[in-house]
This record gives sequence, structure tokens and C-alpha cells, in this order.
Amino acid sequence: MEDEHLISKKDVLEKMGISYGQLYRWKRKGLIPEVWFIRRSTFTGQETFFPEDKIVERIERIKNMKGEHALDDLADVISEHVNAKIQIAFGKLKHLGWFDEDLGKAAGIVIVENEDGTLSLRDALRLAVLKKLRRSARSEEIDLASRTLDGVIGKEDIDPSVVDGKTLYLLRKQLSGGGISAEISVIIISGGEIIVDPELRRIDSVDLAGMLQQVKLDLAACCAPGQTTKKSSVNQEEGRNEHE
Amino acid sequence: MSEEKKSVSVTGAGVITGGSYSRVSISGAGKIVGDVYAENLTMSGAGRVSGHCEVVLLTVSGTGTFDKDVIADEMKVSGVAKVNGQVKVKELKCSGTFKAAESISSEYVKVSGMLHVSGDVEAEIFRASGGFDVGGLLSADRIEIHPGGRCRAQEIGGAKIDIRRYGSRERAGLLDSLLRALSSSWGGDVEAALIEGDEIYLENTRADVVRGKQIQIGPDCKIGLIEYSESLKIHDDSEVQKQNKI
Repeated sequence: MEDEHLISKKDVLEKMGISYGQLYRWKRKGLIPEVWFIRRSTFTGQETFFPEDKIVERIERIKNMKGEHALDDLADVISEHVNAKIQIAFGKLKHLGWFDEDLGKAAGIVIVENEDGTLSLRDALRLAVLKKLRRSARSEEIDLASRTLDGVIGKEDIDPSVVDGKTLYLLRKQLSGGGISAEISVIIISGGEIIVDPELRRIDSVDLAGMLQQVKLDLAACCAPGQTTKKSSVNQEEGRNEHE
Repeated sequence: MSEEKKSVSVTGAGVITGGSYSRVSISGAGKIVGDVYAENLTMSGAGRVSGHCEVVLLTVSGTGTFDKDVIADEMKVSGVAKVNGQVKVKELKCSGTFKAAESISSEYVKVSGMLHVSGDVEAEIFRASGGFDVGGLLSADRIEIHPGGRCRAQEIGGAKIDIRRYGSRERAGLLDSLLRALSSSWGGDVEAALIEGDEIYLENTRADVVRGKQIQIGPDCKIGLIEYSESLKIHDDSEVQKQNKI
């Protein structure tokens, strides 16, 4: 790897007009890759440096997003290439907390099992939600949730607004009478608070918008800079995708 | 008709196969072989999970060992817990002893016992009144530490960092002063190679480098270098070798 021009952390903050809090927050969110944090000893002790071009471009991109929707918007930028069916190394996909091959197969999500897996954002969200439910749901409830989700996120690529503020709930109710006892499962996706009868027990819930954002960030981390797809690189700056 | 999710409990000694459960409770000595998914996992005896552990509520009041990752909404440790994989939770409350061989990521972390982490700790809010030992970076938006033991991290970074002894407030009441007098004998201190934040207040802290916008150094600190961009105040009872306005 050729030597890149490095910039110290305090110079980055000053140059870009950002705070330590912001920088650490973005790092935690995975918006700034770990490998960009380069620790060097200087005469004042340990200092952290960054590859200047990369960090400046990334922070500008993050800063250009307006206000509180910053992360969502960045996630949207990222999702552009996610929707373009980005090829993610199968090995990397496996490391995502919510990635579960067997669960995916059961829900009819096809992941190409060669070196590179392809996963659409829609399937990624579906998988992440089901994975989360798996801790509390029975297999037929997972199937029920999967079919309910289809009604919301559809068959096309996701428009983030369809899951805005929505939460998926898993509820159960015990029925008994005539010596027979049975339990029914209910899946509800709602944009507001739900009030249900007291006999329905709330088993689990998943915040869909939050999950979508998480999934996007995870996928973005998977196809970290230098691996961005042709599509998004061409849009922004040309001919910078000759890595390795 | 439907596969019922079972609850299982081990009161003597037993082995449970992994899988999906409603509630798992180990009050004797129990081992869960394989991955476990549950709404509720309680270890009040001695328990071990050999696979991944994904639950809504995880309570360890006895001893719990987790060989792989732990994912939970809420994790409460009042006994001794050890996780050999990653810890990804929403809320972590540790009043016992918790050892994590990798990293911890949680929205909220509260430590009143002892926390040992080989890697990083990432949180939105990190509050400690006990002790901790973080091998990597301790990072949170808000970090509040009342050292109740030895608190050590390689690096501490965030927006607002506040390290002070018990009872140390601007206008101390009687109880506060009493606590403060006591805490100087049993209270701990904080040690870090680097502390970086926007608003920093430190007491009883030793650090090589402190960088930030507004820095206030309270009593009993020993700092090698301070680099600040807006303001700096240093208490007479603290030692700062070098300071730079940047």
C-alpha cells in the first residue's frame, strides 16, 4: 500500500469543525472504519492519525446530511449500492450478527452460496427482523412474521418511509374451554402505540425503522470504502475504484 | 398443531441441549450445549453456554460462562459472568464481576461492581461507581465515573466526561462532605493513557494526555500533557506537566 498523507485527530477536528463527541459517535456507529485510526508515537505521546483524503471526504459526507436525519440519509447513500445487489463476500456476511443462513432458507431468502453472496436490502431487513424474533418466537410464528412483513416491505426495494416509526409485535393468547387448551399467535405491525386486550401477552417487539438503519450500517461496514460499488463511485467521483 | 416453546430448569446438575426456549433457569450446575435462544435466561447456580446466547433478559446472579457471543436486551450481572465472545446488549448492569474477553457494545452501561474487558467498551451512556479495567477504548457520549475501585482504560473518549469522587459537587451538603471524607480513604482512582472529550472534568485521575475543548482539572490529578481548544482550569492540588492551547 502506498503511503497516504496523514492528518492528526486534533487537526481533523479543527479543519472540519467537529467535536470529539461527534467523532467518537461516528466511530461507534461504524461510519468511520477502525482501520483508518492509525496510532503513532509523537514527541507529545501517542496520537491518532487518519488518511487525510479519506477522512475529509467521509466527514464531509456525514456533515452534509441534515440534522437528526443524518444517519438515515447516510444510510440511504449507502443503500443505493445495497439495492444495486452488491456482492458481499459470503464470509463477511456470515459475521453479521443477524445473518443466519438456515433462517434465510426457511424464509425463502436466496443467498448465492459462492464466494460472493448477494443480498438485497429488503431481504436483509427481513432476515434481521426474523433473527431477532428467533429468540422468542416459535418457527410458525417466524413464518407468520415473515409473511406479515412481506405486506409492508413488499417485493420491491424498500423506501425507508414504509417502515418509519413502525414496530412489529408478537402477541400470544391462551384459549381454553371444553377441556381443550390452545394458544394463538398474533403478529401486528403498527405505526403507533397498540392497545390490546389484557389476555394478549406481548412476547416480543422489533423496531423496524431502527432495524433497517442497523442493517444498512452493517452492510455499509461490510462493503467499506474501497469496496464501494461502481454505481455509487461513478456518481460521485470517477475512476477511484481501482483498489488492490 | 404447533411446536410449543418449552421452559427448562436445572436445579441439580444437568445438561441442556441448545435451541429455542421460553425460559431457562439454572439454579444448580448446568450446561447448555449449543446455541440458545430464549426470552429469559437466569443463572443463579453455575451455568455455562457453549454456543451463542441470544435472549431478551439475561440474569447472572451465580456464575455464568458464555463461550461465544451474548446478545440481549438486558443483561444483569450480580454474580460472576464471563463472556468469551462479543457482548451486544442494550442495557448492561453489573453489580458483580463481569469479564469480557472481547468487546462490549451496549446503549447503557452501569457498573457498580467490577468490569474487566480485554477489548473496547462502546456505549451511549457509561456510568461507573465500581471499578473497571478496559484494555482498549472506552467510548460513550456521556461518561460518568465515581471511582469505587481501580478504574483503568487504555483510552477514554466521548462528548462529556465527568470523573469525580462521591459527594464531590459544587455545593456540597453535610452528607456529601462526609462521603467525600470517607471516599478519600476507600475510593479509587482512574488511570488512562489518553482522555479525549469536548467537556472534561477530572478528579483523582492519572493520565498521560488529556485533550478537549473545555477542560477542568479538579483535585488530586496527575496529568502529563493537556491540549485544549477553549478553556482550561486546574485545581491547586493537581499536577500538570505541560499544557498547550491549540
